Amino acid sequence: MNILIEVFSAPGCSKCAEGREALKAVAEELAKDRVTWRDLNVLDEMDYAVELGVMAPPSIAIDGELVFPALPTPDRFRDELIRRLERGASNSSGRR
Amino acid sequence: MHDALQVHRGKEASTNSMLTIGKVAERAQVSADSIRFYEREGLISPARKTDSGYRLYTEEAIRRLGFIKHAQQCGFSLVEIRELLDLRNDDESCCDDVYRVAIEKKLQLETKIKALNSMSRALSGLIEICSRDKKSLEECPILGALEAGLERREPAHPKLASKQRGIS
Repeated sequence: MNILIEVFSAPGCSKCAEGREALKAVAEELAKDRVTWRDLNVLDEMDYAVELGVMAPPSIAIDGELVFPALPTPDRFRDELIRRLERGASNSSGRR
Repeated sequence: MHDALQVHRGKEASTNSMLTIGKVAERAQVSADSIRFYEREGLISPARKTDSGYRLYTEEAIRRLGFIKHAQQCGFSLVEIRELLDLRNDDESCCDDVYRVAIEKKLQLETKIKALNSMSRALSGLIEICSRDKKSLEECPILGALEAGLERREPAHPKLASKQRGIS
């Protein structure tokens, strides 16, 4: 099961870019082949951002749910990914 | 004595170039009451007051009132406008800060528009079910649908429902 991570950022926002790269590195280190990463420009994806409840970029949605309304620390982000990866693993083993 | 006279003349000249609240209101196309209200809200203040307490403003007040009006047209609240004005006067702020505030406002407005559209669709649904054949209010399908909607929602919010019923 792949995890979809969507990062909503404002174009030209240096704070968004720095934080995003640090988190992307965490995701790649943890499970590169099980994570789909999408960088979204909040202005281009306004409808989708509103649908998810994004109120201020940068924000992160995981599997279509707004999980981090503001950028988390790499540690918090790692914990969340591990939790989801483990849940995905147990769901798929339960199905077998 | 000569110096004192010059200071007095300078003060008189600067006062002469100043604008009363009525003049500012007229040129900025707002009411004098609005200017006093903005003053209470910390958005604007007179450059000085005369000995008899009349407010006097410079041209900057007209620019500031124009800024306030335009920001209100973009949906900014007075608190947000104050934030924008502070950013404008803060040497450490840059256009990135204003850009961030504008994007957040846009997201807020789009969220409101979505909620309003959803309310409007709900009303369209209610209007459609009305047959307009002059039934009594007890048979009104709009009121009936609203009541049915409330009854349906009650079990979804047990805490709220028990509060409404006075159950703690």
